[in-house]
Amino acid sequence: MFTVTVTSTTTGASRAWVVQTAPIEGEAETVAEDKGPSPIAPEVKELAWGAGAFIVLFLLMRVVLFPRLKKGMDARYGKIRGDHEGADATRAAARAEVAEYEAEIAAVKAQAAQRIEAARNVLEDERTAALAELKARVGTQRAAATAANEAARAAAEQHVSTAVADVSSRAAELATGKRPKAADVTNIVASLMGGSQ
Amino acid sequence: MLALKFPPINELIRWRDIFSNFNKVGVIAVAAALIGIMVFLVAGSRDPLVAPTGVRNLAETGVNFIENDIVMQTMGKDGLRWTPFLLSLFVFIYLCNLPGILPVLQMPATARMAIPLFLALTVWVVYNAVGLRHNGIKYLTLMAWPPGVPVGMRPLVGLIELLSNIVLRPFSLAVRLFANMLAGHMLLITFAFLTNALFFAETKQFALKPMSILPFFMLVFLTAFEVLVGFLQAYIFTILTAVFINAAQHPEH
Repeated sequence: MFTVTVTSTTTGASRAWVVQTAPIEGEAETVAEDKGPSPIAPEVKELAWGAGAFIVLFLLMRVVLFPRLKKGMDARYGKIRGDHEGADATRAAARAEVAEYEAEIAAVKAQAAQRIEAARNVLEDERTAALAELKARVGTQRAAATAANEAARAAAEQHVSTAVADVSSRAAELATGKRPKAADVTNIVASLMGGSQ
Repeated sequence: MLALKFPPINELIRWRDIFSNFNKVGVIAVAAALIGIMVFLVAGSRDPLVAPTGVRNLAETGVNFIENDIVMQTMGKDGLRWTPFLLSLFVFIYLCNLPGILPVLQMPATARMAIPLFLALTVWVVYNAVGLRHNGIKYLTLMAWPPGVPVGMRPLVGLIELLSNIVLRPFSLAVRLFANMLAGHMLLITFAFLTNALFFAETKQFALKPMSILPFFMLVFLTAFEVLVGFLQAYIFTILTAVFINAAQHPEH
């Protein structure tokens, strides 16, 4: 608490108000003591409360809290580890089954390929035989056709040479009044037709 | 002209007793312990065989973090028996750091020297006890003179190592945590104070009021940053504890 004294003084033309404050007797010491604690020096009461609180926390943590929490964590980690091992075993078994299945599939595929190859070989033999037979039949038919053709051509040539010889003999007879010998005419016609071919 | 009067640091950290010898540091420390206990109590009561969610997930994440990212990285598999101690340290420090950004509390308990000092002294006692238990009285000579130090260098190295192990380690542990959290608190106060002063300034310079958005943004950013700092300081304290314990177990390394 402070007392406030206000006085008025006059100096020349101006007047100033002076405010003075003074502590009430007996309270000066109280004000001086209330500057607050040292920012560095530790206080015993704070030390005691801090120490007590920490020691209680540590003892409970050491004896009860941590062991119980850790036990639970270890149990869960153990369970997770067991589950992982079980999962690994299941995965390995599944992989073995898949491998076995794939081996069976491969065997069946090989067998199928073998059968397909055999069937293909049989078909190839049959095709080759049929083709040979067909070629032989075609050859026979072609030879017969060629012979018939040759015969027809020879007959036609004979017919034409006879006709040419007759015409030539008649023409020579009309021109000369004398019929040439048939053998000569035939020879001439034959040589001419043979030369023209 | 705008004059800004920043209050002395003593006033900023003055916490009146709620009742006799129980102030905000006590509240935060007790709350941190209670919250830590409740979280792990509730987590432990959940069915452990189903996938963890909620509180149990949080607690298990904490345990895994301590085991995988602190113990296994610094101490190896043999250090797993230290998990409860390191977990308690981490949880307690982090929960004491967090109130720096919580309304009403608005200051980390570790921004006062008492808790960092107690924790650092505890760690000091623990790692020296572990060293003595594992190596007997030879621990002191191994601590002073690591293997391979030339005889001529032993006085100097011994002095440095003893100072480092006996004085500097606990001192640096305590001061690092305390100073970082106090500095963060001061930063938040500075920008909060500046925002308030600019926004409520009785001035004819109208540009000043909108400018209060700048320290306000900084305040928001630093508040988020303090979450990270609180975590980081808890992590650093815990991992250094693990390193010191491991070094005490195997001082020849």
